[in-house]
Amino acid sequence: MTTVGAILNGIFEPGFFTSGPVRVALVVGGAVSLVSAVVGVFTVVRGQSFAGHSLGDLGTTGGSGAFLVGANPLWGFVTFAIIGAGAMELFGARRPRGRDMATGIVLGAGLGIAALFLYLGTTESNTTGATITILFGSIFVIHASMIPVFALLSGLALAIVGLLYRPLLLSAVSQDIASARGVPVRAVGILYLLAMAVAVSLSCVTIGAILSTAVLIGPAAAALRMTKRPGLAIAWAAVIGLAVTWLGILLAYDSYYWPPAGRGWPVSFFVVALILVVYLLADLASREKARRAGAQGVASRKFPTGTAGRTQPSLPPVLGAE
Amino acid sequence: MPFQLLRGCGRAKVVALCLAVTMLGCACSSASGVQSSGVIAAVGAENEYANVIGQIGGRYVEVTAVLSNPNTDPHSFEASPSVAAELSAAQLIVQNGVGYDTFMSTIEAASPNPKRKVIDVQKTLGLPDSTPNPHLWYNPDTMPAVAKAITRDLSGLDPARAPYFRANLANFDRSLKPWLQAIARFKAAHPHTPVASTEPVADYMLEAAGTDNATPWALQADIMNGVDPAPEDITLQDSLFTGHKVKVFLYNEQVADSITQSFLELAKKNGIPVVGVYETMPTPGYDYQTWMLAEVRALARAVANKVSTEQL
Repeated sequence: MTTVGAILNGIFEPGFFTSGPVRVALVVGGAVSLVSAVVGVFTVVRGQSFAGHSLGDLGTTGGSGAFLVGANPLWGFVTFAIIGAGAMELFGARRPRGRDMATGIVLGAGLGIAALFLYLGTTESNTTGATITILFGSIFVIHASMIPVFALLSGLALAIVGLLYRPLLLSAVSQDIASARGVPVRAVGILYLLAMAVAVSLSCVTIGAILSTAVLIGPAAAALRMTKRPGLAIAWAAVIGLAVTWLGILLAYDSYYWPPAGRGWPVSFFVVALILVVYLLADLASREKARRAGAQGVASRKFPTGTAGRTQPSLPPVLGAE
Repeated sequence: MPFQLLRGCGRAKVVALCLAVTMLGCACSSASGVQSSGVIAAVGAENEYANVIGQIGGRYVEVTAVLSNPNTDPHSFEASPSVAAELSAAQLIVQNGVGYDTFMSTIEAASPNPKRKVIDVQKTLGLPDSTPNPHLWYNPDTMPAVAKAITRDLSGLDPARAPYFRANLANFDRSLKPWLQAIARFKAAHPHTPVASTEPVADYMLEAAGTDNATPWALQADIMNGVDPAPEDITLQDSLFTGHKVKVFLYNEQVADSITQSFLELAKKNGIPVVGVYETMPTPGYDYQTWMLAEVRALARAVANKVSTEQL
């Protein structure tokens, strides 16, 4: 019993469960990683990773603007990510070839404004560390009173993807087939961008604007390495997202006792590093599985059959595997 | 610029031109060095240094400060072209050093001037680059040494006015006495007072006043540098307020963020008096001595009467 206690004490350094900042971080970080992972599966399947990353960068504009006027950065992130999503959609998100270009142009303009806001913020008003906080997040300094807001926004993003589950997948497979079946492709796309904007702005606050892509894409990409069934992929992504975030918080807490002593390492670093490890492991496992399947002469799964007729739609091979 | 234009001219012509320019009401000091009638252009990187230059130089210096906005954090200041122009025209510059105002050295290197005198407070005090706390002006030993260096350099630039500068130095040193006495009185009346702070701005004065700063150095440094503090340190700082372990909370009005604000809330909720401290001299209404004296008095009021002085 005492050995178990000793091991547990080694894993959870003293005060982990009683620390106020840690408790808030576990709740908020958990909710945010869950939403990001679930929304991220659709982002990967729909091939909108760049848009997802750009929404985070655009959030920088809002976050720095919020610092400048003294508002809570979360509202800045959410507002500008949604405006950015709208602008991307307006400037050509409909045409797949124009999409990246429109995203890039909106992104550049947004970051330029962020540079101005940060300059004004640091030279004209009182905003210590705004740049680092915006870029790399501040999960341990989130006020407990913000928990309901995080919960509400998380619920909103999850509700959107839950309601649009089938149309989202169908239009990811083929916009033409989706339109032919009566799916309002554009409206679905806009609503999805909205959900992604909310998810990304939440992770901007916790893990940082430039790292938010990692929690959006990472768990989803790893999950899609393990399974091509969308429902299962979403479940796996959620589990991975939650695990890496909580483990990252624990490691950041414990790192206080690592060298340099008394200077904990940032959570964002641990979360992003863990995501990379999980992705590499999932990739390795899926290659190993494919190799064994090939050696046994089992038919390759490159061309799944009967997609249309099955109740559980399989993801298009190209999007699911790559 | 005028100097370069004049370089090719004969000496007599230069003198004539200078006379003409002087008659037009323009001091020709930047072109031909300080004249006994001229005014020395001086810059203080932070307005507390500018204030001391002004007190020593009196009517024979024209002094400007680079950092004086009480709403900005000097740690993250970026210099603008107008600052560069001011610095390249200056004959005397006082800067803090210890990485606090590195932009000053960068600009000075970009516009070299062998005649310009630069007082780096860190070097004047003989402090190493690894000095962790750059807020030297809260240290009672700092300004007397800086004022002496200013007097020396001003006398070098304008030897005719040396007695005037020396008299001002004596006045300045005398005027620091009430502050130094207030520190000594505080130390005697309230030995080892436990205090908390957001970041190390007033640490030198707190040390001189014999207080025990219970806030971990790592937390102070993280807040000063604008990086995320460790949750362990936040919990510890919170417990200083909730457990009433400190008698006063020193709050840096210029280096604030969400974490410092939540400390402030917690301190107020638990009835811990708050004293505002500053990176640059709060203006108007203060000079260096009265500002420092006001800080010690606010500290004493907080400890003795539980009265907050959030803003001086």
